[in-house]
Amino acid sequence: MFTYEKKLQYPVNIKKCDPKAAQIIITQYGGPDGELGASLRYLSQRYTMPCDKIKGLLTDIGTEELAHFEMIGAMVYQLTRNLSIEQIKKSGFDTYFVDHTAGIYPVAASGTPWTAAYIQSKGDPITDLHEDLAAEQKARTTYDNILRLVDDPDIIDPIRFLREREIVHYQRFGEALRLATDKLDKKNFYAYNPAFDK
Amino acid sequence: MNEREALLREISKAQFAAWELHLYLDTHFPDARAVSLMNGYEKKYRALVARYEEKFGPLTAFCDSDERWTAGPWPWEGGKR
Repeated sequence: MFTYEKKLQYPVNIKKCDPKAAQIIITQYGGPDGELGASLRYLSQRYTMPCDKIKGLLTDIGTEELAHFEMIGAMVYQLTRNLSIEQIKKSGFDTYFVDHTAGIYPVAASGTPWTAAYIQSKGDPITDLHEDLAAEQKARTTYDNILRLVDDPDIIDPIRFLREREIVHYQRFGEALRLATDKLDKKNFYAYNPAFDK
Repeated sequence: MNEREALLREISKAQFAAWELHLYLDTHFPDARAVSLMNGYEKKYRALVARYEEKFGPLTAFCDSDERWTAGPWPWEGGKR
């Protein structure tokens, strides 16, 4: 089960509202390579992993992603606090505003709502772990792109933290893949699916 | 039900009772009777968790001084015969 800790994993204190930045950063809330998808991907894949260590790792990383989801939500919230109608119109935030006012809703930067089609749970540990490695790199690229588009240090600092976590998670998933293949047929990793064939 | 499962059941009972009162208090604070009941269940919960962790390893991610955190069975692996 889950319990809530009344704190962010890393502090988010943005003083200047910036609806344009919010519209970009929200993609890590509900976009194709965002934190919500990351969490649900790992927490869904863990059931059929072939060993306890990998089940533990996916549980831990899936849980951390929820903390990242919360950090991104906090950033979007702080970036859209106390907006005037003038700022909303000028920044292009109007297309989001008309549907959600200043509420936090999981969409991509393009406005596409979050969908489970962004993730896969294939029930094959090699396949799932490769998806996880790719997912961490895709999120890392997204954070790199965000860093190209923003210049407020209050935004940059937590985004850099989140970017760094993608790299650490990538490293851990690489180790998990090694753990998984160590248990397989050395001459043919694909000889059977350890999550299905007994 | 083995000893570990029985202790987990006791933990869940105390935790659920405390949580139910916690939710009630979200909208009824400070109802003295509910506060006192909640504190009682919470105390019981903490004592049971301490007993569990000493015997069977960590229940949450941050008390893993040993390898038992990643040891099975995982919670979703019930019903196996």
